[in-house]
Amino acid sequence: MLVNTYSKRIFNIAYQFAGSYQEAEDLTQDIFLKLYNSLSKYDFRKNFTAWLFTLAKNYLIDQYRRTKWEKKTRDDFNDYYLTSETFEDPEEGIVKQESRRTIWEGINNLSSEIRMAIILRDIQGKKYEEIAEIMSLPLGTVKSRVSRGRLQLAKILKEKKEKRNEM
Amino acid sequence: MKCENIEELLAPYLEDELSSEEKEAVEKHLKTCENCSMFLSFMEETKESLADFPELEVSEDLLDRLYSIPNKKRRFKLSLPSFDFLLRPSLQPVLAAATIVLIIISFYFFNPDKHFIDKSINRQIHLGYSKIERLYAKAESFTDSLGEHKDNILVSLKNIKLLRGTED
Repeated sequence: MLVNTYSKRIFNIAYQFAGSYQEAEDLTQDIFLKLYNSLSKYDFRKNFTAWLFTLAKNYLIDQYRRTKWEKKTRDDFNDYYLTSETFEDPEEGIVKQESRRTIWEGINNLSSEIRMAIILRDIQGKKYEEIAEIMSLPLGTVKSRVSRGRLQLAKILKEKKEKRNEM
Repeated sequence: MKCENIEELLAPYLEDELSSEEKEAVEKHLKTCENCSMFLSFMEETKESLADFPELEVSEDLLDRLYSIPNKKRRFKLSLPSFDFLLRPSLQPVLAAATIVLIIISFYFFNPDKHFIDKSINRQIHLGYSKIERLYAKAESFTDSLGEHKDNILVSLKNIKLLRGTED
């Protein structure tokens, strides 16, 4: 039941955070193993989803700090994220896909804490209050991390577009 | 307001989280600064791109691995004895006492003046032993003197009227 309900969410967070499909599968397995080992410590008065996400967040950030995942590159955006979305204007479609690819690669430039805040807020669409609970941080800190993350990514996007225009 | 200050406010501006004064200042700046208004469009594009990342499906292989975790764990549990009972709160005073005892023992064994401690312990034991011996000797002399006066005591007891009963 836990696998059916949470595997997709945990796997997607792991993939967005690590950027490697293979790595994300291994991390998801590790997180579920950790979950089964820690279930006895779960306080039933607390929100289970937030508790599980906190466990996943802690594991992902710990692993990142320990190994830095050795490699700096993420999977090619098109490997798994090429959408079948159709655009009325094909040129607009190409520009949008290019921006998504730049942002996807740009996530690697964010620190682990900011990366997690951006993933939870802008990709997963969670409320700031939920993120504060998951990350065990004050609301203001979460908002400032999300702001800084967006700012960094927007700068990366700007530079990329300016370079392309110069060419 | 300077461009650097405006940059910091653009993310909360997009989420409508600024106070009315800050919002007014940002909008006023954006009207006159082409760079900042262009940067705002990059911020919007960033937010849209992030929101558009599709959710991936979990592969069958990973699902199989996840479903098999509880069985693996059970097998693992069977092969190793569980020491979870050591974490019970009721055992905490016992563990604390054991820790203190271990500290005292290690203090004795690793003390550079160990032979002095041994000497003083031996002296204390000898003192205790000689006290016991003295007590034992006193007790013996008391029983001897009781033996000497035994007959007299018995005669005296027989002479006491109360103990003679109803002979008359």
